[in-house]
Amino acid sequence: MAAPPEPGEPEERKLLGFLDVENTPCARHSILYGSLGSVVAGFGHFLFTSRIRRSCDVGVGGFILVTLGCWFHCRYNYAKQRIQERIAREEIKKKILYEGTHLDPERKHNGSSSN
Amino acid sequence: MAHAAQVGLQDATSPIMEELITFHDHALMIIFLICFLVLYALFLTLTTKLTNTNTSDAQEMETVWTILPAIILVLIALPSLRILYMTDEVNDPSLTIKSIGHQWYWTYEYTDYGGLIFNSYMLPPLFLEPGDLRLLDVDNRVVLPIEAPIRMMITSQDVLHSWAVPTLGLKTDAIPGRLNQTTFTATRPGVYYGQCSEICGANHSFMPIVLELIPLKIFEMGPVFTL
Repeated sequence: MAAPPEPGEPEERKLLGFLDVENTPCARHSILYGSLGSVVAGFGHFLFTSRIRRSCDVGVGGFILVTLGCWFHCRYNYAKQRIQERIAREEIKKKILYEGTHLDPERKHNGSSSN
Repeated sequence: MAHAAQVGLQDATSPIMEELITFHDHALMIIFLICFLVLYALFLTLTTKLTNTNTSDAQEMETVWTILPAIILVLIALPSLRILYMTDEVNDPSLTIKSIGHQWYWTYEYTDYGGLIFNSYMLPPLFLEPGDLRLLDVDNRVVLPIEAPIRMMITSQDVLHSWAVPTLGLKTDAIPGRLNQTTFTATRPGVYYGQCSEICGANHSFMPIVLELIPLKIFEMGPVFTL
């Protein structure tokens, strides 16, 4: 995330010049879906009501709500995935360290299931 | 270390810093959306007809713009408090290092397994080797093991200093007459830089901190104690 671009690598682009959506997990996904939701909501409202100003308001509201919704949903799943990765990493470490000893997690698990 | 013109946070080298980066992303997205809304409202204000006189009977709007900010603040505060309490956890540290701030260098004491004490001065530009970093490299680095909880006791011998290493998410004030404690667990080896973060005189910018994090097996062989 903080490493400078290596020569030969494509230059990193930031939204509006400062929002690093490429390297922030879920940001690009949320903003893309938010933009799509904004266009659909705003244009759809205009088609039904022909009110330009109100449709713009609906578009902006749609952008905010859809972006926020996608963001929280994606970040929740990302957090769950990180926790699972951490647990898996710890279990692999324990397995490597204690394999063949009385502390072997697999032996404990098999012992408890046979009881 | 930071690269030139870097605006964002450095990559995380400890679990706390990973949490801080996650929280930063979360808060930044909320801030971005609020700014977007405010800019839109400003745009509407600047382009509205000046004959609009409807400035009363807006109870629904007033309810929304009272409750919504409260909800937003709760959404920001809960993860923030979680991380705040996480930083105060002390998980049975394996090693305790004392860091004492002076004008204008740091002294480090490894007193757990011997009496190693040394000073860490910034390398003057004339003494830099090719590849060394100007204003960041020091003569004696703090060598520590990775994947072991480490306790840093920080104080000062003269004026206020602050011991900071951004990649570990650490910044602790060095206050004369007071002993502050911070704990961390590094997750990957490497050389990490920080700088004094409390104004302390003419050479405040010239007392950097350099941590050399090495695997525990190599640390146990005793490279630290061969000075």
